[in-house]
Amino acid sequence: MDQGKAYQQRMKELFNVENLFGKRMPLEGVRVLEVCYVVLGPACCDYLAEFGAEVIKFEGQKGDQMRFVTPYAFFWKNMSPGLEIENHNKYWVGMHLGHPRAKELFLELVKKADVVADNLTPGRMAEWGLSYKELREVNPRIIQLHVSGYGSWGPWTGRTSYDAVAQSMGALSPITGFEGRGPIKSGVWIADWITALMCAVAIMAALNYRERTGEGQFIDYMQVENVIRFLDWTWLYAYLTGKDRPRSGNRDLAVCPSDLFDCADGWIALAAFDDASFQGLCQAMGKPELFQRFADPLERLKDENARELLKIIDAWTRTKKVEEVEALGNQYGFAASRVITAKDAYHRPHFRQRGAVQEYEDALYGPMVQQVYPPRMSETPSRLLWGCRPLGFDNEYVLTKFLGLPHEEVERLKADKVIFQWNPAVPSHCPPPDWDGKSGLKLG
Amino acid sequence: MTDKKLGPSVYDDMFDDDALAAMLKEDKTIVGLAINEGYAKWAYAETNPKDSFRKPEALDDMLVLDVSYANFGALYASSILAEFGAEVIRIEPPAGDLARKMTPYGIMIKDTGLAYMTEARNKFHITLNLETAEGQAMFRTLASRADVVIEAFKPGYMDKLGIGYEQLKALNPGLIYCALHSYGQFGDDSEKYGNQPDYDIVAQARGVIMSITGEPDLDPEVPPEYKRPLKHGNWMGWYVGGAWAAFGIQAAMLVKRRTGKGQFVDCSPPEGLLAISNYVMQYYHMSGNEMPRAGNYDYAVFPYTYVKCKDGYTFMSGFTDPNWAALCEIMNRPDLQKMFPTIKERLTPENQPKIQHEIEKFTENYTSEEILQMLTEYSRRPDKKGTVVTGRLETPTDVLTRDHWRVRESFVKRTDPYYGEVLIQNSSFKAMSRTPGRIKWVCRPVGADNEFIYQKYLGVGKGKLQQLKEKGVV
Repeated sequence: MDQGKAYQQRMKELFNVENLFGKRMPLEGVRVLEVCYVVLGPACCDYLAEFGAEVIKFEGQKGDQMRFVTPYAFFWKNMSPGLEIENHNKYWVGMHLGHPRAKELFLELVKKADVVADNLTPGRMAEWGLSYKELREVNPRIIQLHVSGYGSWGPWTGRTSYDAVAQSMGALSPITGFEGRGPIKSGVWIADWITALMCAVAIMAALNYRERTGEGQFIDYMQVENVIRFLDWTWLYAYLTGKDRPRSGNRDLAVCPSDLFDCADGWIALAAFDDASFQGLCQAMGKPELFQRFADPLERLKDENARELLKIIDAWTRTKKVEEVEALGNQYGFAASRVITAKDAYHRPHFRQRGAVQEYEDALYGPMVQQVYPPRMSETPSRLLWGCRPLGFDNEYVLTKFLGLPHEEVERLKADKVIFQWNPAVPSHCPPPDWDGKSGLKLG
Repeated sequence: MTDKKLGPSVYDDMFDDDALAAMLKEDKTIVGLAINEGYAKWAYAETNPKDSFRKPEALDDMLVLDVSYANFGALYASSILAEFGAEVIRIEPPAGDLARKMTPYGIMIKDTGLAYMTEARNKFHITLNLETAEGQAMFRTLASRADVVIEAFKPGYMDKLGIGYEQLKALNPGLIYCALHSYGQFGDDSEKYGNQPDYDIVAQARGVIMSITGEPDLDPEVPPEYKRPLKHGNWMGWYVGGAWAAFGIQAAMLVKRRTGKGQFVDCSPPEGLLAISNYVMQYYHMSGNEMPRAGNYDYAVFPYTYVKCKDGYTFMSGFTDPNWAALCEIMNRPDLQKMFPTIKERLTPENQPKIQHEIEKFTENYTSEEILQMLTEYSRRPDKKGTVVTGRLETPTDVLTRDHWRVRESFVKRTDPYYGEVLIQNSSFKAMSRTPGRIKWVCRPVGADNEFIYQKYLGVGKGKLQQLKEKGVV
């Protein structure tokens, strides 16, 4: 075994993915109340949940909109895949916080919680008497995060935003696409996912600060501004030149070469900017003179030079297979990889070995295989416990375990419609058709 | 290297303090379209960016060493920590980090490109040659008192130099060691391809999302040469990877605050994208099928698309039944609602181009602003059938002129004593009521903080520093 592989083997033992459940999670003991719907808010709480936070999700009578958002209107065992992707390891409560008695129960939970997150219209929580002012009165340590397209104040506060609006208003779509063609939206709800990620980062900072001082706080986060934040050199370039960053397809205008090239049997993503990797690439191509000619990376970035160089590389990759270029990349030290699809990622042993894709048996849906949020942590790794749940599935558990309500009281709340469960007429609210009435119920 | 002044900017009036103060005096600047004006005013008072510097910082008890090279994933991670007040020391080789040269068309401001200028915020900059024994010894001393080390070399590189996780952990059991790399620190692909460097394009290609981003596969009007995967225009792989790293580092820090123990945080940017690739993995698990590239269509929600309008493109939605009814009413097209009554009809690749063209027949008659007005008016009608949302495809130069971003201070302009006038995006954490993120300085030249940092942490004075410089260590 060579030295390089010995390192990887040692790291494999350190992270020991086989023994995931022999390790703790970093957010154990952190309780999150999720007053969120669609993708952005729930995804933020999902990130926390896979790292051990106890997330209690509140849903209205109609159900989270994602119960109805699914590719080709495809449902599986009554479940909407669109709901599954941002909802793991959570506890599901059917309760509308606009109801006065629901509000009382919620405030009782706030006393025992660490974080309250919402992505409702800004001010909606305040209308219900659940703004940070009120939450802080019952729990000064509480951290409240509100996220919306344009935030809680400013000329555009109150404007509705969706993922695709954030991609367009934040100028991501306008800079994405092929040269000379129209703007292209991401293949996924990227503005939701990355904003959720930064919301989780903000909550982590607030938790760290609270650990130091005992103080909670209010966080106002903006989805569109988050997209703006992610656009690297776009703004300084616009400021200095007065020009819009053009669409350049897969060519990186700030790293050369870096592009997606055609091979004989597919595509290869290839990059080689530093001296060692660019020299390696030129050697692999059998053109060492190219390295001499384009030795200065800044000269290489000039439009004319970049176009010429990329053309030369493209002519070479067309004579190779994807796998050959990947192997040459490793041999000569430049970056080269195939484009990985969902099917590839699903089957690739690498991701399973790393715990990036995990298999588990869900009490309602049976064997599942899904991605797990990074990064991989050697002592406190993330993991999947269970997936999404029917509407109001954990009502009884949450009210009994956290508030100590006796069974009769829970029944009364149910009768008074303060809490509710799935509507049998709406399949995507419901458990699988063959559900035995017990599986997956906590305290069931 | 270009060292010319690129000319005065047209955006400077956006930073006119008096004009901004006048705007902020008007209620509508603060309350906008708020449903609860009292809430908007309260939120403004709690998160006014003008107060940031009077408030504490969340992570100002942390020391972070960012020793990455040519890597904006790592740089974004350390930017986030620096915005929260961590003391971040950037360690560059004596010739400078190559990331300073990752800049569009090679445009430089003195020794630094535009991308690096954006992600150097609040960081101290020192130089150190890690490939010398003396440099390694100095690094060990720094790491023995740091909370976090961030690197993005090929897996095992630091280990080979004797300054990897295991060696540093022996000196500092509380150390959080974060390594970013496409292939990660273990697993088949790490063993097989670990001699490749980490780049954004590879993160995007391996992160699944790129395989389903691009012009629509099933649209016959798209020329075949454009039917290929497409990356996001920005460094989405690096930025997403960096954000996950900052998330993991803070999670590890929370554990450290309770137990005193550090750990290894292995952040693979492609896994960061894979983990947020919508439902494609789940759909494959459930149906055995993969999703095609949908372009601006969406086979799970539609209409939810960009349409042509008089002045460019704008977003239009109306995907649930009530919202679709509202859109058809606004367009005065009851026939469309009858033709595509449920999501079953609206979510097929065959019908979506048809629906798209019908919507465009309407929107092409109006500007994006007119469409926004129309929808806003409709949303106020008591008898409205649902909600239709729009949003212009803003170009970067549009964004820089909008009042909303101006009053929220989404950008900062600074006259740097060395680099001159620059504009960068502000911390997106600036609306935290207690510990807002902030920008204190924009960038520092290569090695600019050697004297201060080496004095502070290693007790190295001017004379010793000069010797180290002559030996090529700093």
